Amino acid sequence: MTRQPISRRHLLAGASALGGATFLPGAAFAKGGLVATTYPGSWEDAYRAVVTPALKKKDDIDLELAPLFAMDQIGKAKAARGAPPFDVFVLDPGPRIVAIEGGLFDKFDGTKLSNLSKIPDGFTDEYGVCVSAQVVGIAYNPKKVPAPKGWKDLLVEPWVSRLGLTGFQTTFGTSSLIELSKQFGGSLTDVEPALVELKKVLPKVAAVGLPAAMPGLFQQGQCDVMYTNTQTVATLKGKGIDIEFVKPESGSIAFYTTMHIAKGTSEVPNAYKYLDLVVGKEIQEALTKSPYNFVPVNKEVALPAELPMKSLDEMTKYVNHDWAKINPLRAAWIEKFNKEMAK
Amino acid sequence: MSVSTAAYDPSGPSGHLPSRVGEARLRLAEWQLALPLALAFAALFLAPLLLLVGVSFFNDDKITQPGFGSWIKFFGDPFNYKVIADTLLLGVKTVCATVVVGYPLALVYLDLPARLQRVLLFIIVMPLLLSVVVRTFAWIVVLGREGMVNQVLLSLGIISEPLRLLQTELGLVISLTQIEMPLMLLPLISVMSRLDPNLRDASAALGASRWRTLFTVIVPLSMPGLVAGCLLVFASSTTAFISQTVIGGVRLIYLPLLIWQQSLVVYNWPLAAVISLSLVVSVLSVIAALSYLGRRSSGHLHG
Repeated sequence: MTRQPISRRHLLAGASALGGATFLPGAAFAKGGLVATTYPGSWEDAYRAVVTPALKKKDDIDLELAPLFAMDQIGKAKAARGAPPFDVFVLDPGPRIVAIEGGLFDKFDGTKLSNLSKIPDGFTDEYGVCVSAQVVGIAYNPKKVPAPKGWKDLLVEPWVSRLGLTGFQTTFGTSSLIELSKQFGGSLTDVEPALVELKKVLPKVAAVGLPAAMPGLFQQGQCDVMYTNTQTVATLKGKGIDIEFVKPESGSIAFYTTMHIAKGTSEVPNAYKYLDLVVGKEIQEALTKSPYNFVPVNKEVALPAELPMKSLDEMTKYVNHDWAKINPLRAAWIEKFNKEMAK
Repeated sequence: MSVSTAAYDPSGPSGHLPSRVGEARLRLAEWQLALPLALAFAALFLAPLLLLVGVSFFNDDKITQPGFGSWIKFFGDPFNYKVIADTLLLGVKTVCATVVVGYPLALVYLDLPARLQRVLLFIIVMPLLLSVVVRTFAWIVVLGREGMVNQVLLSLGIISEPLRLLQTELGLVISLTQIEMPLMLLPLISVMSRLDPNLRDASAALGASRWRTLFTVIVPLSMPGLVAGCLLVFASSTTAFISQTVIGGVRLIYLPLLIWQQSLVVYNWPLAAVISLSLVVSVLSVIAALSYLGRRSSGHLHG
């Protein structure tokens, strides 16, 4: 057997084959993946069931969902300092402003969405696109307590001794406490009256917990009244729990949930494809159905009867809060809430 | 002549030289074996800890102005002293409860036949196999207003109104006792099962009652396991954020809740760093005191 000496040409060919091999996985995943955040609970269930398979089918993109609350997303993105752990954010108005101030978003171009004409004017800006609305009000167990009429009812019997409270950590918690405060002479920037009134009835209150713990506490009968959004009510109802949503006399609170492309992501084209799909008629229609009960943003989707409104225009009559004014005050409110509520 | 005797002199310095070199080489090798872990520890634990210390010396949440502002803010507020005290007290209460419940269980374990020991050991380890979230939510089902405890007591007519167990420190200590129990029992059992069974017989033969045998023979000899268990339970219960907030609610305020609020809700990282370091230092000082007491008691025993 003769052995061929290794020539320079052979070596070069071998080396380039090896080098070329490193491009192979890249070719295999050419369509790529996308990591998008979603809220734990209804959002995660809905996106996993509806959006993930649709994106795979339409654009051959593997969608990985990271269930995180808005503030946790910002915490993680800030901690990553320029190398975002996900490509797309989903945020409420307060955290959205924090993220804009922190420069966490890639500049957004609404014209890249083929469905742009199907969503109302002003639903996209240089930061992102509205994908859903949330409606916040009071939830109660109809088998245990009568329906409360408004925020003030929460602080009197029979509701107060069955009330579950959360603080200023979430958008719905902060908004609800602001509305409660307004009933006692407070305002958007003055929650003191709410805390004063809450402190008076505090020994009677059934539970004061973290937002994430509230559905579990409601389910276990630890509390029978709480403030929350329509999605949570829909999910609990779907699990066979006795729960109904009430629009407070002073109005439900409404805010838009927006999606944003993370600055520094390498998946910008896939992110646009994902966002285009999310605001499209097919997905919006599917998400509007039970058990998800999302409020759609696509004008071609009819609002179902379960939602507490007849058309998207009605949202303008709902209570809106200016989060640019709320954000700077929130740290102090959280501290105050700790001290006032502490045992 | 003198050269040759020196060469054959077994007590000469040269006679021991080769073995000493070997010993030194061995020691070096052992030291080198620990190097990967030591480096990983330095990179993944020590460096972030130093960063944490660095971040704490900034005044603002954007981390731009160096200063002592965050330290002054945290320690200038008497409310926070109460939070530190409550956190440490929660640890002490949980340690006491796990000792009271766990020690007799360890004694029972010693007297069981080998097969039942394995069953009991599995039951003890089981909580560790479940996620802390599941364990914690299971306790909501047990302690809740409509939970098992209240339903049993109500149906027996012992109480007329449901007891408030969730969102109280009592409920929290009860659940932490179960959640942290393996950390107490595993070191305790491993030390106690090495005790010579003849010691108990000897103590009895010398006329000691069973209680006296327990307190003068078994407890002192099991002290290393007991101290190790107490350290683990204390460190774990004072930092158990999920159990503290889900079972205790947010009216019971402990340091982990404040750290979460400052780091992930309002993003004041310097203040979060100050609170984290306060938690580390206060927990470590209690642990140092505990292990000092443990060493003293075992030193007393052997010395």
